[in-house]
Amino acid sequence: MRIKPFLWLAVLGVFALGCNEQDDGEHVDPITLYEKINGNWGLMSVKMTDEVAKANGITPNEQNLSTYFNYEDFAIRFNVDEEMRPTTYEVSGDVPPLFAPTGYYELSSDFQPTGGNAVRVYLYSDAEHANKTDELRITSVPGSNEEMEIQVVRTSAGTPFVSYTFKLNAID
Amino acid sequence: MKKILYAFMLALLALPNVSKAQEAAGAVADMWSYPVVYKYDEQVKWYFDLTGTTWNQGDDVYLWIWSPSEPDAGNWNNSSEFAKLTWEHDFVWSFTLTPTTYFNMTPEAIAASAGFWFRLKDDAGTKQSDVANMAYTNFDSFYTANELVRPYPEHPTLDGGLSILFNANLAPGFENATSVHFHSGLNNWAILQEYQAWLPEIVAKTALKNMGNGFWKMDLIPSEYYNGIPDGFVFENITYLFVKDEWAGTIPDQILYAAEVIPPPPPAFKYFPQQISKKDFLGIMRTDNEPGINTLVYTITAGSTEITGSFSGNMAEIKGFVNLPAALQNVNATTIHVHVTDNTDRVLSDVDIPLKTLD
Repeated sequence: MRIKPFLWLAVLGVFALGCNEQDDGEHVDPITLYEKINGNWGLMSVKMTDEVAKANGITPNEQNLSTYFNYEDFAIRFNVDEEMRPTTYEVSGDVPPLFAPTGYYELSSDFQPTGGNAVRVYLYSDAEHANKTDELRITSVPGSNEEMEIQVVRTSAGTPFVSYTFKLNAID
Repeated sequence: MKKILYAFMLALLALPNVSKAQEAAGAVADMWSYPVVYKYDEQVKWYFDLTGTTWNQGDDVYLWIWSPSEPDAGNWNNSSEFAKLTWEHDFVWSFTLTPTTYFNMTPEAIAASAGFWFRLKDDAGTKQSDVANMAYTNFDSFYTANELVRPYPEHPTLDGGLSILFNANLAPGFENATSVHFHSGLNNWAILQEYQAWLPEIVAKTALKNMGNGFWKMDLIPSEYYNGIPDGFVFENITYLFVKDEWAGTIPDQILYAAEVIPPPPPAFKYFPQQISKKDFLGIMRTDNEPGINTLVYTITAGSTEITGSFSGNMAEIKGFVNLPAALQNVNATTIHVHVTDNTDRVLSDVDIPLKTLD
């Protein structure tokens, strides 16, 4: 049987595709959470949850606050230095002070923990991290969709009674 | 070839102007009559709800009826004044007629006809409704049914018409009655229209219509017939009896249950969330409000700090959030006092809310 020349070419092409050299590369440090959250984040939505009602199965236990208090303009920026270490953060938009609008921050872990616990964002009023002002939780870590969810949880004697959930997306 | 094409396109453009199209106004949305049931030789008011048609409130609308006969025949282009409807309110028009007179036919001939078939139209006949039929409720069966009373509809509403037929032949002592009267009350005699035989206007108001041969008929619209119905009244029943002449005889108490009325859900006021700190928003909300209630006015006191404001909304919900994180930023308080009124100055809530201590 005679095979036409262009068919031979096609077969060769298929082989060529399959023969890519495997890219072992050089060793690269895994991406830290700081690299992921570095930058400015705008508001997609914010909701307030009545944790007491939720724990007792009472509905409605959520209220959408996205259209209240200028939250349309809410954005939060997390800054890092050249070594991808945390420096300052700041909230922009004329929104209520649910937590200190500017200061310094640090994460409870450089990497996303494998367990169920959300990474904490500790907020400080000083660069030495001596005066902690507030604490946020990262309940959804940025991935390829460039979206992040952070939570402010109000607790008294260790029991949460109210929380605020901010859905954010990366803005340039 | 091109010329022909242009000519054709021009003709197409001109088409809407030359063809004077009949405007379709749409279908009559709803129809009813008052009295609810009537004989063909009784005066009746037909009602037409033209909601959803192209007619505007207050427009001149005419009846074009061809069955059982065609009183305004030949006048499509200029309807007669006698065929004109009366605009009642909103999108409701009425037409008052005595069928035997209007159609110039005997009751038997009307009964044998195809019924009341018509269109509604404007004066010049450039606009018309769909073909419609005014239903007629035949109650002849009552004459032989051996029933003392029979209501139409079986379960009345407060604002709808009601006809009650009465067979006095079955009521002992009603022989040779010259008049029969309706002695009644709403909701187990709570709102009365008694038969006060010494008051001529009440005698007339409570009088039944004599249908002949010992048969009588009472026609009424409860919301118009009874005086002093309070706002928000939930109509449950009509209790009544019929009275012969000046209380010469009565029938036993009767009760007529109203169509099932679903009462509106009660208003609900609440704060959100259940527990707050001074760094949290305080939601104030009220759902299922009464008619006319549209604003919540609040005064919050925390120590010497007073926060005031208001939220507006509608009957379904009035809701808003107080920015306590900003207002109480520099205030030391372990409790707040919240006072909420509505737009009628009625106090809806007056409470102390403790502020949780944050970890």
